[in-house]
Amino acid sequence: MEQALAGCVFSRPQRIMLLTPDPGLRSMLLSLWGPEEVEWTHYEHGRGAIEHLFTDPPDLLIVDNDLPDIKGLEVISIVKSENVYRQLPIILAAGEEAIAASGWCGVEVDELLITPSSPVRVKSLIYLTLARASRSFDANPLTRLPGNSSIIQRIQEMMDRKEDFALAYADLDFFKSFNDKYGFSRGDEVLMMTARVIVTTIRSFTGVKSFVGHVGGDDYVFILPPDIVETACQRVVESFDSIVPHFYDEEDRVRGSIVSTDREGVIKTFPLMTISIAVVFNLDGRLTHYGQASQIAMSLKKKAKENKKSCYVLDNRGRNAVREEPA
Amino acid sequence: MEEDLKTERKGQLLAIKDLPTLPAVLDEVSKLVARPESTTEQVARLISMDQVLSAKVLKMVNSPIYGFPGRISSISHALMLLGFNVIRGIIVSTSVFEVMTKNMVGLWEHSIATALASSTIARACGLRDPDEYSVAGLLHDLGKVVATVQLPELKTAIESLVKEKDLTYLAAEKELMGFGHDRINAWLATHWKLPPNIKEGMDHHHSPQTAQLYPEMAAVVHLADFLARLYEFGSGGDDNVPFVAPEAFKILKIKPKDLEAICDTLGERFVEVSDLKFT
Repeated sequence: MEQALAGCVFSRPQRIMLLTPDPGLRSMLLSLWGPEEVEWTHYEHGRGAIEHLFTDPPDLLIVDNDLPDIKGLEVISIVKSENVYRQLPIILAAGEEAIAASGWCGVEVDELLITPSSPVRVKSLIYLTLARASRSFDANPLTRLPGNSSIIQRIQEMMDRKEDFALAYADLDFFKSFNDKYGFSRGDEVLMMTARVIVTTIRSFTGVKSFVGHVGGDDYVFILPPDIVETACQRVVESFDSIVPHFYDEEDRVRGSIVSTDREGVIKTFPLMTISIAVVFNLDGRLTHYGQASQIAMSLKKKAKENKKSCYVLDNRGRNAVREEPA
Repeated sequence: MEEDLKTERKGQLLAIKDLPTLPAVLDEVSKLVARPESTTEQVARLISMDQVLSAKVLKMVNSPIYGFPGRISSISHALMLLGFNVIRGIIVSTSVFEVMTKNMVGLWEHSIATALASSTIARACGLRDPDEYSVAGLLHDLGKVVATVQLPELKTAIESLVKEKDLTYLAAEKELMGFGHDRINAWLATHWKLPPNIKEGMDHHHSPQTAQLYPEMAAVVHLADFLARLYEFGSGGDDNVPFVAPEAFKILKIKPKDLEAICDTLGERFVEVSDLKFT
């Protein structure tokens, strides 16, 4: 019996590994989704599962508290103690008495499936756990914006659907010299500000499909419809240029530059930070792979960097156009 | 004992949860943010006319959750960073004074006049970012508003004392509370992590000579407060034209007669806002 949950669909098939000796629990879980939605792997014992788990981790792991050979919590603790598997969401399945007595709080369990339960409850719980994991999986720890995997996935999905879109790569110039002089925590302030400028600018275009991601460091990505992107770039550049001087000490702000030591130990003068944006268009399904977009963007970036001021470069199907804010 | 009472009142003042404003501005801003075609500049201009909304916006953008506390002292920068959604949230959750007294309206008008005078003086003295002087001018009497909300009995007593003994509002505050609104401003600015330049303008506007970090800010707001009272634009709570600290001129490197030219410009700018209504 497949229980329907209104509006809850996975964006791609999910792989779930189940460790339980309980045939009742197993058959209930396997009946929740069709095989095109969820691919199940089932183990009755804990030990054999661990190797499989480590070589080919699933999207979700469900562990029964009562395994015949090893404690369920021990399996969970082994998985969660390895940094590379820590983001794998794990549900512990147990009866009420075991939940009260097992001491699961000391282990990084993500959810509890308290048995016996109903199919709607279990299905909702699993859906929610997967959705939450995909949201927090690669969020940038500083800005909480979606990170690299989400960015690539989003772009690839739009390309696969042959949607028209503009993909913008933004980064800061002279961020490193700012960091060197003022320290990391002042640098983080600038990264938070930049994220906020981009997010509020992109969100101000209501009723359009948009996306903002933070690749890491001073690299950001945003996606907008092609006809809006230039206005958005103008606004981001304008806001950034007007706000960023206030993140410097007064002396540097007044002088319009900072004096700092470069990698070779030479004292140098650096201008205030600027922002460069490279925009790649995907029109009529021109691009098929994420790699193509990032390659075009990187060559546009070089063009943008030749300009010392904040600016954006649009990839006009071969004819590049550099725009900067009038001083 | 006295210290205990002061600490208790400080706690009461900082515990403010609901800082209301006057209904007229709130209505205008609400209408503006509800329209999809409204621009950030339009909203910023309107919010810049209201000391309570300005304070709330700056408090929000400088709160640690955004990650750059104490950095933003301009309303338009705050709007660029907060976005319309957050601004709408602030506006929706702001209440209005249930009883709007004549004194309140007077104080709002006085604050705008001081804001305008601050940026006019800053421009005349060739200071950078004159809009930030305007913000400090706008917020210079915020402590009076917070005291009205949190310590209403004292507010009534201060007003009667001002009338009775013909004191300045500040002197009456000090006599009754043991501290003035300048001190309340300092507490609020620290608690809300407002930028240091705005803080110094707010808490040293009666004593620019004691400002440590941004004496120009304190001196500008000090003179602006004086000019606003001289023009009798609004009311700061008493009828005295306050004492001008001679140090203010020294800090700004101007002479008292330079105020004439500033007054000419200011007169024109007052005309621009004369149709602004708070009732």
